[in-house]
Amino acid sequence: MDTQAVKRTGRWKSRIASELVGILGAGAVISAEDELIAYESDGLTGYRVKPLFVVLPSTAEEVSQVVGLCNREKIPFVPRGAGTGLSGGALPSREGIVISLSRMNRILEVDIPNRVVVVEPGVVNISVTDAVSAEGFYYAPDPSSQIVCTIGGNVAENSGGVHCLKYGVTTNHVLGVEMVLPDGAVVMLGGPSPESLGYDLLSLVVGSEGLLGIVTKVFLRIIKKPQMVKTLLASFERIEDAGASVSAIISSGVIPAGMEIMDNLSINAVETTVGAGYPRDAGAILLVELDGPGAEVTAQVPAVSRILRENGAIEIKLAADENERQLFWKGRKSAFAAMGKISPGYYVQDGVIPRSSLARVLGEIGELGRRYGLRVANVFHAGDGNLHPLVLYDPEVEGESEKAEELSGEILRVCVDVGGSITGEHGVGFDKKRFLSLMFSEQEIDTMNLVRCAFDEEGLCNPGKVFPTPRTCVEPGMGKHGSHNHAPKGMGELF
Amino acid sequence: MSHIAELSRMVSNFHVPGSGGTDSSVPEFGFSPEVILYPETVEEISRVLGFASQKGIRVFPFAGGTKLSLGSPVRAAGAALSLKRLDKLLFHEPSDMVSTVQCGMEVREFQNAVGRENQLFPVDPPGLSSGATVGGLVSTNLCGPMSTRYGTCRELVLGVRAVRADGEIINLGGKVVKNVAGYDIPKLMTGSLGTLCVLVEATFRLYPRQPFSRTLVLGFDDHVSCSRAARAILAADVVPTCFEILDERLSSEFSVAPGAKRSILLRFDSFEEAVVEQIKQVREITSGKPASFVEMGDEDSRELWDSAREFPFSSAASFSSKLTLPVTASIEILSDIESDPALSGVTVRSLARPARGVALVSVSGEGEEAVIAAGFLENLADSLGGRIMFSDVRCELREKVKAWGDFGDALFLMKNIKRRFDPGNILPGEKIFDAD
Ligand SMILES: Cc1cc2nc3c(=O)[nH]c(=O)nc-3n(C[C@H](O)[C@H](O)[C@H](O)COP(=O)(O)OP(=O)(O)OC[C@H]3O[C@@H](n4cnc5c(N)ncnc54)[C@H](O)[C@@H]3O)c2cc1C
Ligand SMILES: Cc1cc2nc3c(=O)[nH]c(=O)nc-3n(C[C@H](O)[C@H](O)[C@H](O)COP(=O)(O)OP(=O)(O)OC[C@H]3O[C@@H](n4cnc5c(N)ncnc54)[C@H](O)[C@@H]3O)c2cc1C
Repeated sequence: MDTQAVKRTGRWKSRIASELVGILGAGAVISAEDELIAYESDGLTGYRVKPLFVVLPSTAEEVSQVVGLCNREKIPFVPRGAGTGLSGGALPSREGIVISLSRMNRILEVDIPNRVVVVEPGVVNISVTDAVSAEGFYYAPDPSSQIVCTIGGNVAENSGGVHCLKYGVTTNHVLGVEMVLPDGAVVMLGGPSPESLGYDLLSLVVGSEGLLGIVTKVFLRIIKKPQMVKTLLASFERIEDAGASVSAIISSGVIPAGMEIMDNLSINAVETTVGAGYPRDAGAILLVELDGPGAEVTAQVPAVSRILRENGAIEIKLAADENERQLFWKGRKSAFAAMGKISPGYYVQDGVIPRSSLARVLGEIGELGRRYGLRVANVFHAGDGNLHPLVLYDPEVEGESEKAEELSGEILRVCVDVGGSITGEHGVGFDKKRFLSLMFSEQEIDTMNLVRCAFDEEGLCNPGKVFPTPRTCVEPGMGKHGSHNHAPKGMGELF
Repeated sequence: MSHIAELSRMVSNFHVPGSGGTDSSVPEFGFSPEVILYPETVEEISRVLGFASQKGIRVFPFAGGTKLSLGSPVRAAGAALSLKRLDKLLFHEPSDMVSTVQCGMEVREFQNAVGRENQLFPVDPPGLSSGATVGGLVSTNLCGPMSTRYGTCRELVLGVRAVRADGEIINLGGKVVKNVAGYDIPKLMTGSLGTLCVLVEATFRLYPRQPFSRTLVLGFDDHVSCSRAARAILAADVVPTCFEILDERLSSEFSVAPGAKRSILLRFDSFEEAVVEQIKQVREITSGKPASFVEMGDEDSRELWDSAREFPFSSAASFSSKLTLPVTASIEILSDIESDPALSGVTVRSLARPARGVALVSVSGEGEEAVIAAGFLENLADSLGGRIMFSDVRCELREKVKAWGDFGDALFLMKNIKRRFDPGNILPGEKIFDAD
C-alpha cells in the first residue's frame, strides 16, 4: 500500500518529535531542515524526498518503540544503513520517518569454533572480515562498496560481490536475524545453526529490501581463508572472446572464486584514475581468481591459462604477489568511481543474463549505445552473468540524462528477453519497480504481496518500493482488519 | 455429479482406491482419499485446485510417497494429487549450468540426464535409489552427505513454477544464478511440505563433475580423539565433499570400522593431485589418533555412502530425528546422547554432519522408553540452541511424539504465510501446524 501523504499539522509534528526524543534522547532525533538533507536520497541521487524526521536508535527495543509509535500514528518508516543502495531503496517516504541503523554498529560476538559472527545491522561489511582475519577467516560477500555499506543493507538487498560465483551471495551466508516487525514485535528467525526447520522465512527477509521489517541483529557465517589464491589477468582483442572464455572455464570443471570482465572504455577510465596496470589497448580484460587448497589451485592455473589462450587471449599475467593481486582488484573495484572522472554523469545498470547469451547481449548493448548516441561502458561479474552497463551522459546537455535513463531501461528489456533478470544485486527499490512486470505477471506480483501482507498488514514499512502499483492486504472473505497479525484467531478452524 | 467425480473428470487419469486395478502402487497416506488424481499437464492441476478451493475439497500433493512420513500426519483430504506424470526434463543449457525439470521426475534420473554433460546436481537425499522425486526433494528440503560441500537444495533452487491453492499458475525466481527481483519465494517453497503450493517445475544451478574421488574412513577408540580430529579437519585447508561422524553402532553396521567407538567418513572430489594432497593433510593433522585409516576408491565406497545417505530412513526404528545445531554442538552431541541415562533403555544410532551442524538420530525401543528418549532429544536440541524434527514415528507413539519441536517466534509468521497463500487450508497445513 502506498501511504498517501497525509497533511499533518505543526502541532502534531512537535508532539511526535517530543515523543521520539522521549524514546531515544535528543541526540538521536534529527528534525532540522539542513540536517535532513543528507538523508534525502541514497546512492541513487536522482530521487530525493525530505523525511519528517530521521531517528538514530541504539537498541532493538528503541527501534521497536519507534515502530510502535509509527503504527499508532500511521507514519510510514524507512530503514536505512549507509545509504549506498543504487535502487532508491532507502529513499524516504513523504511525511515519513527514516530509521537509521548506523549507531547499531557493534560486533556482538565472534565465535570461531562455530564459524559465526553476530553483529548489529549498522556494522560495515569489511569490519566483519577485519574482526576474524587474524584467525584465518573471512566473510565472503564482498560488494565493491564494502568499506562503507552495512550488513543491514546487505541483508536487505541480498548483496553480491566479486567472489560470489563460487561462494554465493548474502543469502548463502546469513544464518539468522533478529528483527523488529512492522507492528513493533521483535522476532528471531534462524540462529547460530547452519540449518533450520520450518518455513524458510529467513530467505524471504534476505533480499526483502527493507519491506518486511527492520533487521536489528544478524548471525553471519564466516569461512576459512583459502590456502592459496591466484589471480590471472587476461587481455583480449574482442570482448566476445573474453565472454567465451568464461563459459569454457566453468564447463571444464573449474569454478573460480570470481571472474570479472571490463571493456576498453572501463579499462581506460581505470587506468586514467588509479593505474591498475591494465593494457590500455585491449578490447577487454578478464580477471580470473582461483582459490582453494594449494594443490588444487596449482593444478588449475595451467588448465585455466590453456583455456584462455584457446579462446584468443593475447596476453595472460599471473599476479606475482599479493600487492599486484590487490592492484588488479583495485582497478575493478574502483571502476564505477573512475567513470565519474571521465564522464560528468553516468547511470549504473544492473541486469542478469544467462552466461551463454553474453556475446549476443553485449552486441545488442553496443547497438543500443550507437542508436542513442551515448557511450556505454561494460564492467561486470561475468561468471554469473551479472552485467553492470554504465551509461555515460552529460547532465548539462538538455535531455541527455533522460536519454541515458531510457537506454538503461532498454538494456533491461534485452536481459529479460534472453531469460535473465532486471536486477542481480542492486534491488528493485524505487527505481526499478516499473520494470518488475517485465519479469512477472500480475498474479505473480500478487503472490509476492501475500508475503508482504503476512509480515506487514498495514503497509507502513518502506512503502512505495518494489511493487509497481499499490497493493492492499485485504483477505478473501475478511475485512481489512478482520484478522490480527499477532495471534491469528480462527486458525483452529482453519487447520 | 459429486464434487469428487467432477474433479476426477478434470485430469487425464484418476484412480478410486478400493476399486481394484493399480492399488499396489498407492502409498500409505495415513488417511483415505476418495480419489487419486494423475494429471499430465500443469493446466489440469490448475483446474483441479481452482475447483477444489471453490468447493472446499482438500487436496494432498505427493509424488509416490517415500517421504510421506515427514511432518505431521494429514488428517483428511478428499483427493491425493500425484505428480508422477509430470516427469520431463524441460531445459538444460550446459554452458549456463542451469536446468529446469518437472517436479515428478525422479532425482536419480535428473542426475543421470545432467551427468551426460559431465554436470552434477549435487543433492543426495535419502530415497534417492527408491525413486525420490524433484518435487519431493524441494518440498522436504532433504539432503544427504554431499550437503557438506554443496548445501541443501535451498542453496541450488533458482526458480519454481507452482500452482497456488486457488489454481493460479505462477513462476517465481528465475533461470539465472543471480537474481534479486522480488522476494525469494522459491526458497520459501523448500521445506514447506506441500502446504503452500503444488510445485510443478523447478530450476536449479548445477555444478561440474569432478574428475577424481577418494573416500577415507578413520576409526577411533574413544570419542575424545574423534572430536579432536573432527575439529582439526574443520579447521584444516581441506574441502571435503562429504564429512560424517558415526557412533559405535553405525560404525559397525555400515561395516566401516567395526569395533571402533567412533568413525569419521570423508570424501574428496577434485583433480587427482589435489585429492592426494588433501588426504595427506588429513593424515598429518590426525596423525597417531585414529586407530585405523582406510582409503577407498569410488567403487569400493559406494555401499558405504548409500548407507550414510539413507540413514535414518532405512532403519526400522521407533522414530528418527534430525537436529539442527551449531557446528560444535553437532560434534559433541554423539557423546551427550551416548552417556545419558535417559537413553539407557533404548537402542540409539546417531550420525553427525558437522559442517552442516546436523545430527541424525534414530531410536528403537518400547513405548514409554521411546517417548522419554524423544523428550530427552527435544530438550537437548533446545539447550544447545538448536531445533528438532521427528519423522517415521511409529503409529502407537504419534500421540506423544509430535513431528515438530518448538518453532519459537517464527510460528505466528509461518501461520500468517500459510493463511495468505491458502486461506481455505486446501493443501493440508497440519503437516506443519500439527498443534492446531
Ligand atoms: C560504488 C558502489 C559500489 C557498489 N557495489 C556493489 C556490489 O558490488 N554488489 C552489490 O550487491 N551492491 C553494490 N552496491 C550497492 C550497495 O552498496 C548495496 O546494495 C549495499 O548492500 C547497501 O548497503 P547500505 O548499508 O548502504 O544500505 P542502504 O542503501 O542504506 O539501504 C539499502 C536497502 O536496505 C534497507 N535496509 C538498510 N538497513 C536495513 C535494516 N537494518 N533492516 C532492514 N532493511 C534495511 C533500506 O531500507 C534499503 O531498502 C554498490 C554501491 C556503490 C555506491
Ligand atoms: C507403497 C509405495 C508404492 C510405491 N510404488 C511406486 C510405483 O509404483 N512406481 C514408482 O515409480 N515408485 C513407487 N514408489 C516410490 C515412490 O513413488 C517414490 O519414492 C516417490 O516418487 C518419492 O516421493 P518423494 O520422496 O519424492 O515425495 P513424497 O513422499 O511423495 O512427498 C513428500 C512430501 O512432499 C510433498 N510433495 C511432493 N511432491 C510435491 C510437489 N510437486 N508439490 C508440492 N508438494 C509436494 C508431499 O505433499 C509430502 O508432504 C512407491 C512408494 C511406496 C511407499
